[in-house]
Amino acid sequence: MIGSIILTLALASSIIAMVMYYLGYRGYNNALNIGRLAYHVMAMLVFLAAALLEYLLITHQYSYRYVFEYSSNELKSGILMASFWGGQEGSFMLWLFLTSIVGLILQNYASKRGDLEPRVMSVFTLATSFILLMVSPMFKNPFVYLWAEPIFIGIKSINPNLVHLPFVQNFLFADASSNQQFVKMSTGLVSALTANGISVGQFVINGRGLNPQLTNFWMQIHPPILFSGFSMSTVPFCFAVAAMMKNDYKDWVKQSFPWLLAAAGILGLGIMLGGYWAYEMLGWGGYWAWDPVENSSLIPWLVAVAGIHTLLVQKKSQAKGDGIGKFAKTNLILMSMMYVLVIYSTFLTRSGVLGDASVHSFVNPGTIVYLFLMIFVGTFLLVGLGTLAYRWRYLTLHTKTDEGLLSRELSLFTASIVLCASATIILVGTSAPIFGHSVNAKFYNSMHIPIAIIIFFLNGLSLLLKWKDTKSHDLLKKSLPSIAASIVLTILIILFGGISDILVMLLVFSVTFSLIVNLEIAIKIIRGNKKMLGAYVAHIGIAIFLLGVIGSSIYGREKELDLVKGQPQEVFGYKLMFTGYEPIDNNSKYAFNIKCVKGDNAFTVSPIMYIADFNNSLMREPAIYSMATKDLYFSPLGYDDGSQTEGGGPAVSLSVGNTTNFGGAKITYQKFIPPDVNTMMGGGNFQLGAQLVVDKDGKTYNVQALMKKNGRQIEFVPVELKDANLRIQLQKMDPNTQKAEIVFSKINDDNTATAKPKEVLTIQASTKPFVNLVWTGVLIMVFGFFISVSRRLKESLS
Amino acid sequence: MKNKYLFGGLIIVIFLGFMAYLFTQSNIKYESDFAKVMKEQKVVKATGSWVKDKSYVMDIQNRVFSFYMEDADGHQMKVVYNGSMPNNFASAQSIVVTGEYKDGCFQATNILTKCPSKYEGQNVQAVKTSNL
Repeated sequence: MIGSIILTLALASSIIAMVMYYLGYRGYNNALNIGRLAYHVMAMLVFLAAALLEYLLITHQYSYRYVFEYSSNELKSGILMASFWGGQEGSFMLWLFLTSIVGLILQNYASKRGDLEPRVMSVFTLATSFILLMVSPMFKNPFVYLWAEPIFIGIKSINPNLVHLPFVQNFLFADASSNQQFVKMSTGLVSALTANGISVGQFVINGRGLNPQLTNFWMQIHPPILFSGFSMSTVPFCFAVAAMMKNDYKDWVKQSFPWLLAAAGILGLGIMLGGYWAYEMLGWGGYWAWDPVENSSLIPWLVAVAGIHTLLVQKKSQAKGDGIGKFAKTNLILMSMMYVLVIYSTFLTRSGVLGDASVHSFVNPGTIVYLFLMIFVGTFLLVGLGTLAYRWRYLTLHTKTDEGLLSRELSLFTASIVLCASATIILVGTSAPIFGHSVNAKFYNSMHIPIAIIIFFLNGLSLLLKWKDTKSHDLLKKSLPSIAASIVLTILIILFGGISDILVMLLVFSVTFSLIVNLEIAIKIIRGNKKMLGAYVAHIGIAIFLLGVIGSSIYGREKELDLVKGQPQEVFGYKLMFTGYEPIDNNSKYAFNIKCVKGDNAFTVSPIMYIADFNNSLMREPAIYSMATKDLYFSPLGYDDGSQTEGGGPAVSLSVGNTTNFGGAKITYQKFIPPDVNTMMGGGNFQLGAQLVVDKDGKTYNVQALMKKNGRQIEFVPVELKDANLRIQLQKMDPNTQKAEIVFSKINDDNTATAKPKEVLTIQASTKPFVNLVWTGVLIMVFGFFISVSRRLKESLS
Repeated sequence: MKNKYLFGGLIIVIFLGFMAYLFTQSNIKYESDFAKVMKEQKVVKATGSWVKDKSYVMDIQNRVFSFYMEDADGHQMKVVYNGSMPNNFASAQSIVVTGEYKDGCFQATNILTKCPSKYEGQNVQAVKTSNL
C-alpha cells in the first residue's frame, strides 16, 4: 500500500517536473526551480520505493505478491537481493531506478551548459513519467498484495501449524493429476484469517522462489548493467529533441557525445555479459543464439554505434565552419531511434507477442499492458520524428551535402548505413513472429558475414582517408603497407586455420586490415595525448572480438556422445570417460564427472544436471575447460541409469480400448484391473494392472500385466508368451486415468540378454577455438569507449 | 551530395533486397490449422496440443519419440521426432513442432513446449474443485 502511494506521488512529481520544465523552456523563469525541485522529489520517491521493495524481499514479506512470486527463504543473500529484478514489475522498477539516477546526473550536467536544462529535462521527464505509469497501480505494480487476485498457493508455502485450522479447510483444493494440495488465497481467506488474529505474513511463510536459471552470479550484475545502458539511451534522445526545440544544432553535438558514447559502452558491456552468462550457465552451446531478447538489446546498440560515427562527422564539419555540420538529419534520426528501439525492445520482450518464439519464458501480461507499451513506443517515435519533420525544411536548407568520393565523411556515412542495415535485418527477423513468421539463425548469419566484411574494411579505409578529400595516389601510398601486412597475416591465418570459404577469407582480410590500421595509429599516438586513443582501442577491441567469433563459431567442432560409465571414448584427441555422478550443493544438484586425458594432461570436468523443484524441470549446466587457445565445452543432454532399457523394447502408453502392434502381434488393452480400494487406502498389499488381449498368428491370448505392491516394494510382474515370442511388462500405471505404460519385447531378442544395466551419460562435446578473444575483445572495446567518454566530456564544456 | 545518396541508397537496396530474398527462403510460418499442414507439405511451425488419450511411443534405443497432436478444431496428426521426449513435455500447455508433413506423419526437427511459467494461473482449471 505504502509502496503504491510512493509510486503514485512520484508519478505526480514527474508530471509536475515535466510541465514546469516545459514552462521554463517557454520562458517562465520561476517554473525552472519548481521543475528542478519536482524532479528531485520524484527521484527521492523512486529511491524510497526501490528501497522498500528491496526491504520487503530481504525480510521475506510474502503478503506481497511480487515477493511471493520471485523469492523464497532458501535464496542466498546476493541472489535474494537480485530477485528485485527477477520479474517484470521489478525489472521495470530497476529501469525506473536507474533512469532516475541518470536524470540526476543529467540535470546537473545540463544546468552547467547554458539554457540546456529546461529543454532536455522536459523531454527526459516524459520518459520517467511513462516508466512510472508502467509501475503505477494501473499496470505492473510491484506492491500488489498477494490476494489482490485469487491465487493458488502450494501447500509447501503455508505455515503447517495453521493449515489445519477449521476455517482454512474451505480454501483447500487438491489437484488429482499431480496429487498436490493448494490453498486458494483470496479476500475471503484473508478476512477469515484477520478475524482469527492471523496475518497473511504468518500464514504464508515461503515464496515460490526464483527460476533456477536466474539463481547465479550473473543475475546479480548483468541486468543492472544492461538496464543502465537502456536508461542512458534516454539522454541522446532528449538532446536531439532539445536541439530541435531550440532549432540550434551547434552545441547538442558536443553535449550529447559523451552520453552517447557512455550509453553505447555500457549497453555493449551488458550485452556481452548476457552472452557470457548464456555461454557459461545456460548451456545454449554458445554465447549468441539470435534469441529475441538478445537481439532486441543489440538493435539499439548498433544504431548507437552508427550514430557515434555520423555525429563525429557533424562535429568535425562544424569545427571546419560548415554551419550546422554534415549529416545533422541522420544524427537526429539515429539519436531518436536509439531510444525508440530500446522501448520497442521492451515491448517485444515484455508484451508477450513473442510467446512462441523465444526460449526466455514470457508471461502474457494482458492486452492493457500491450496497448500501453504500444503507446509508449508510439509517443516517443512521434516526438522524435515529429519534431524532425517540423524542422526538416530548415535542416535541409542549412546542411551542406557535398562529400568527395574518397573522403572520410563518406566512408563513415556508408559504414553507418551498413550498421543500420544490420539493425534493420535483426529488427525484421526479431519482429517476424508478430506477423506469424519466424526466421532461423541462418537468416542472421548469412546476412552478417557480408555486413561485417564491409564494416571492417570501411573502418580501416576511413582511417586512411583524410577529411574532405583524399588524392587517390596519396591513399594508395598510405594504405599499401597496411594492406600488404594484412594480406600476409590473412594468408597465414588461412593456411593455419585451413579456411576454404571465400567469404570467410574476405572477412579475415578486412578484420586484419582494420586491426593493423588501428594498431598503427594507436602506436603512433600512444606517446602523445592518450585521450585520443579511445576510438582506436575500441576498434582494436571489436576486431579482436570478431576474430574470436570467426574462430569459435566457424572452426568449432561438436559431437554428440553416449558415454558408457567406465568405458573411455575418444573425441577431438581427448579420451573421455564417464566416472559416475555425485550430489553437490546440499544434494540439490548432481555433478556428472568426466575424466579427460590427452597425453600428460588429465583433468576432470563436471557438467551438472538436476530436477528443479521450482518448475519440476530438468536443468542442465555445461562444464567448460578453458585453455589459452580454445575452450572445451561439455553440455549434458541426458543420463540413463540403465534400468529402463532392460526390456529392450520401446515403452508404449495405452488407454483402455487402445490397440498397438508389436512384432506381428496385435495387443489390445481391454480393461483396467482395479486395486482393492480398502486395502490400498489401509496401506496393505494390493495389485492393479491391465487386462490385455494378444492376437498373433491366429491365436488369442488373455494376459494380465500387473503391478504388485508388497510391503514397501513395488513390483511389475513380467509376462512371457513363449508361443508368441513376446514378453510384456507393465512399466507405469495411473489409477486415475487408467493409462498404462507397457514395455514389449521379444523373448529371443539378444537385447534382453544384457545382464548388467549400463549407465550412459549423453553429452554434446564441442571445441570453441579462441572464444577468449570474444570476451577480451568486447572488454577492450568498452575500455576504448570510456577513454573517448573522458575526452568528449572535456570538450563538451568548451 | 550525390555520393552520399548513391552509396547509402546502394547499400540499402542491396541489403534489403538480399534480406527480402533470404526472408522468403528461410522464414517458417506458424500454422495452427493441421488440415493445412497436412495438405501443404512444407516446413512449418505447427502449434497445437498433445493428445494425451492416444498412445505415444518413446523408443529409447533409436531415440525416436512419436505422439499425436491436435489443433483447436480437433484435426489430429501423428508427430515423429528424432530425439528424446522434452523434459517438461507432460506439463506443457501447448506445443510448437517445427518440421513438415511427410509420408503420413509430421516429421519434427524441433519441439518447443510452452509451459505455464506461472503455474498457478493455468492450474486454476486443472485443480479439481474437490474439497478435501
